[in-house]
Amino acid sequence: MSSLTTGLKGRAELGVALLLGAAGALVLWDAIGLVTPYSKSDPVGPKTVPYIVGALLIICAVLLAINVLRGGKGEAEGGEDVELGHPADWKTVLPLAGAFVLNILLIDWAGWVISGTVLFWGSVLALGSRHYVRDGIISVALSLLTFYGFYLGLGIALPAGLLEGVL
Amino acid sequence: MDVWSSLMDGFATALTPMNFLYAVIGVILGTAVGVLPGLGPAMTVALLLPVTYALEPTSAFIMFAGIYYGGMYGGSTTSILLNTPGESSSVVTAIEGNKMAKAGRAAQALATAAIGSFVAGTIGTTLLAVCAPIVVKFAVSLGSPSYFAIMMLALLAVTAVLGSSRLRGFASLGLGLAIGLVGLDSVTGQRRLTFGQPLLSDGLDIVVVAVAIFAVGEALWVAAHLRRTPLHIIPVGRPWMGKQDWKRSWKPWLRGTAFGFPFGALPAGGAEIPTFLSYVTEKRLSKHPEEFGKGAIEGVAGPEAANNAAAAGTLTPMLALGLPTNATAAVMLAAFTSYGIQPGPQLFTSEGPLVWALIASLFIGNLLLLIINLPLAPVWAKLLQLPRPYLYAGILFFATLGAYSVNLQAFDLVILLVLGALGFMMRRFGLPVLPLILGVILGPRLEGQLRKTLQLSAGDPAGLWSEPIAVVIYIIIGIILLWPLLFKLFRRNRAAAAPAGPQLKSGSSAPNEAGGSVSHASHRASGGDGGDGDGDG
Amino acid sequence: MTIVVGYVPTPEGEAALTQAIAEARKSNTKLLVINSSKGDALVDNRYAQEPEIQTVEDRLATEGIDHVIKQPVRGHDAAAEVLDAAEEHNAEMIVIGLRRRTPVGKLILGSVSQRILLEADCPVLAVKA
Repeated sequence: MSSLTTGLKGRAELGVALLLGAAGALVLWDAIGLVTPYSKSDPVGPKTVPYIVGALLIICAVLLAINVLRGGKGEAEGGEDVELGHPADWKTVLPLAGAFVLNILLIDWAGWVISGTVLFWGSVLALGSRHYVRDGIISVALSLLTFYGFYLGLGIALPAGLLEGVL
Repeated sequence: MDVWSSLMDGFATALTPMNFLYAVIGVILGTAVGVLPGLGPAMTVALLLPVTYALEPTSAFIMFAGIYYGGMYGGSTTSILLNTPGESSSVVTAIEGNKMAKAGRAAQALATAAIGSFVAGTIGTTLLAVCAPIVVKFAVSLGSPSYFAIMMLALLAVTAVLGSSRLRGFASLGLGLAIGLVGLDSVTGQRRLTFGQPLLSDGLDIVVVAVAIFAVGEALWVAAHLRRTPLHIIPVGRPWMGKQDWKRSWKPWLRGTAFGFPFGALPAGGAEIPTFLSYVTEKRLSKHPEEFGKGAIEGVAGPEAANNAAAAGTLTPMLALGLPTNATAAVMLAAFTSYGIQPGPQLFTSEGPLVWALIASLFIGNLLLLIINLPLAPVWAKLLQLPRPYLYAGILFFATLGAYSVNLQAFDLVILLVLGALGFMMRRFGLPVLPLILGVILGPRLEGQLRKTLQLSAGDPAGLWSEPIAVVIYIIIGIILLWPLLFKLFRRNRAAAAPAGPQLKSGSSAPNEAGGSVSHASHRASGGDGGDGDGDG
Repeated sequence: MTIVVGYVPTPEGEAALTQAIAEARKSNTKLLVINSSKGDALVDNRYAQEPEIQTVEDRLATEGIDHVIKQPVRGHDAAAEVLDAAEEHNAEMIVIGLRRRTPVGKLILGSVSQRILLEADCPVLAVKA
């Protein structure tokens, strides 16, 4: 059992190496596609730095993969409000990300007041609050306040969306 | 350019009613975020960046300065009352501070922390005002090759020295540099890493990147690992100190300041090492060594002073050279760029009034913090009862709002989420976030200096070491990079001879750059771990 | 049969505990002390720490009351925990402490006591501190 879980955890960190490698490859591939007319005023050109960065990423990816296979492990970050004893709580994180995505989809069409309300209310719910009505009131109040605060105080007009004309 | 008259002008600017108001807002916000779990000064400044676009840059920076110093104060409150150091720099404070609080001396612990921070902050800011112009005078004589070398040093020092794994530091740096590449190449105008997406051709907004990594990544990470067992705060009245406490505190304050400032000013110096050094020194010099581990006031006074002096020290390279050495300074530097202000040695001449107003506001903020914090400590402690759902939902809400308001594009929110997920992953697998942020901010400037250098030398790489300062810095970089190797050799040769004693002494005379960074790496290896271990218990 | 008491380390909580001890002695029943936290804030002063619980434990032991102390942290609010415990142990009575609150404070904050009063299936004894 324990060897299985450590094996799986090790594999999860290999994903990081994979991501680094992919990022490095992407940077290199993009750099190759650039055209550089040689010029005296710019001997370095736009390609050099991407090549170095891409190489750095790929080297890190390889070394990290070796490090992980040899049993190296990144130390998860602690914090005053973090308990590392239990595994990641996806039941909290995924709905939270869901509320975030919903906000992205709604913001231009429905406007900030609606999408912001959805975002805050959804996040609070995902994080485990069960005072539906109180949370709803706080969400609407926050969204309205920021909408008017940005408009009147900072001169930034957040999208009004569906409520155009009402607000 | 007389320092004194410039500073007085700075006070005149910082004391106008509006700017004073922003200073007050800054220190209150700063203390609040220092006290609240999960929020740090870097995240707060990042979250506020978009909101402050409508403000005068001067007002905005006065507020940021307040947040920066306030965050340091607030952090000590939770360390002492709860034994949960929020930032690595307050880990040491928690060791003795919490013991004092448990022994019923919370008021004295908070008082010595607050007054010590004030003393250290004031001395540190004075040193900043004196040193920064000198550094500038020296820096304006430097050319591109030296700048390139100095930036390399800052990047590599932060990456190689801080954090527990160098490899993961470099991985993070690489990601940051790659993010910094996105957009139009400033010289040839070619699109790099834009994948035909026109929205990417302006590059990724640094505000969006900072908010994503610091705020969204952190909120998601904490949400995945919420602490379930509630802690109990040690009730506290108004902080105060008796005569005996003053007598035992003032020397540690001054010694802590002496440790903190130079380390803060070094690339990758940070606040963690000086706080630990200060703790060890006080333990050795104390007349009451038996109290250490049971709540010795010197063990709170020294490290807290070191911590705040380091904060002031950090601002020296930030203002004088445009080099950030910690997360908050990095975000503040990003703020300069967003206002169209070019950071670097020209800053003191081109934006003199702003810089001096900022320095003056640091003095004011320090005093405000003392006035606000001594009587209000019990109120700040109440903040900790805020239910988490509201706290973290609030962070996400304001992160979204801030990132969106920069360009009013939903596309930025997609970037925010993607980079937030990256921030989450980095925290999960122990990749430090600071090298990434520095890579994003310094990467493009580093490339600019590289191209300028080689343009001057007509493509000859020897141009890179054409200035003596550059050569010296490359040697330092070499030593830092090879340090683990050298350290092993050193250990093998000297076997079990002389343990930590002489090394610690060398750290106290740190102002010279070369000696400082090198001895510092050794403390990290020998000392830093011990400090962390104690704090978590 | 048992008596359930909602305990918090405050004057109201102590008053409720004192009354509950008297009730338990009178009817010679078991006393179930509930001190819960939702666990949703970093600090919860209503959640009793080790020394406080020890004091309660000692007090109940010296008074010679048959008792159980429970400190659930499950993300439920205090009212739900007390009601759950009452139902599970088929309680004959719930004892709670009340504090004075203005009507406005009541409106904003909601009330644990109110929910217990409204939803409990057994008699509820509310004590003022």
